[in-house]
Amino acid sequence: MNLSTLFLVFVKFGCISFGGGFVLVPILIAEMVEKRQVISMDVFGNLVSIAQVTPGPIGINAATYIGYLQGGVAGAVLASLGLVFPSLVLGPLAFYSIARWKDSLPVSGMLKGIRPASLALVFFAMFLFMGMSVFTARIPLEALFDLVKTGTASIPADFRLSFGGLTIFLAVLLLMWKTKLSSTILILLSAAAGALLCR
Amino acid sequence: MPEMPYWKKLWILFFTFARIATLVVGGGYAILPVVEETFSKKYNWLSSEELLDMMGLVQTVPGIIACNSAIYVGRRVAGFGGILAAAFGVCLPSVLIILTIAMFFPDLNPENPWLLGAFRGVRSCVTALVTMAAFRMAKKVLKSWFEYTIAAAALILVLLCKVEPVYVILGAMPCGVLYAWYKSMRTAPAPDGGKDGAE
Repeated sequence: MNLSTLFLVFVKFGCISFGGGFVLVPILIAEMVEKRQVISMDVFGNLVSIAQVTPGPIGINAATYIGYLQGGVAGAVLASLGLVFPSLVLGPLAFYSIARWKDSLPVSGMLKGIRPASLALVFFAMFLFMGMSVFTARIPLEALFDLVKTGTASIPADFRLSFGGLTIFLAVLLLMWKTKLSSTILILLSAAAGALLCR
Repeated sequence: MPEMPYWKKLWILFFTFARIATLVVGGGYAILPVVEETFSKKYNWLSSEELLDMMGLVQTVPGIIACNSAIYVGRRVAGFGGILAAAFGVCLPSVLIILTIAMFFPDLNPENPWLLGAFRGVRSCVTALVTMAAFRMAKKVLKSWFEYTIAAAALILVLLCKVEPVYVILGAMPCGVLYAWYKSMRTAPAPDGGKDGAE
């Protein structure tokens, strides 16, 4: 990817991500892992993990990292700039017009449509992440089609359950439900547990 | 209180948002307490009501939540210069930290089995965080058959039909407008207060 494409792709991301980091994650996967194939799914997973333990918004962290891989320091700066560019230009305008017209039919209707669609993207991100933590490969949902069509489904050989991953996943869910541990502490605990359980 | 010089306001905006981006891991709502402490309590530049408005608005305009918050506060405090100072403050620490990591660790694909295990552990933890975020968001967003339908359709489109998330978000907007319009058509012809209106 050359620098101008990089910048424009991140401008696009900046325009369409509503409501925070986890909505941006599936958008990034669709473009960078699946369509352009500039980064592998595993590396992307590690990148999001690092973005979670380092300070700052996930989006900026991911943009900086992917930008650096594609075009060095200039790429990193351009990608991050691209991501915040729409907010800088449209943000003040959008704040004003949404505050002013949030009860009007077109604006409230648009927001009403965007929210459940963004929610679906977060669930999509959940499925994608399960494929690199609880399972050893992407969940083969195409197998469902085969199952309906032919009655048999072939599951890829590298798709298995990771017991260490599943244990940590369930343990973290339980800890989040029962305690008020911060996500930083949960991540550090999981890193230690992973080093012991997932080798 | 004497009026503070403009450059000093810009410095406080830059410095506070840089501090937020450096210290607050996780982003999103986590930044609210620091913003409140600095800008409402210490300098009295924003009322608590404005902060609540901000938290709603930053999620409805596109872009990164932390960056949108910076833009909102920056504009209120110091106009266009404030927007630039605060947005620059939010981005700079993440860009520097991730650039440093990317320079020393460019492929994010370690050979060391302990490190690989730790990464799998952290990815499992992130999966749990995403899962919790998804269900928490679902509780807020899914209010009627409309949200359920859009969310389910969007999930099927991205997960099974491999439609790009961009088009799902863009497609959801007119659906929301149509729904809002349909609802207003159904409730509008009741001039006596619309007692039997849907909702």
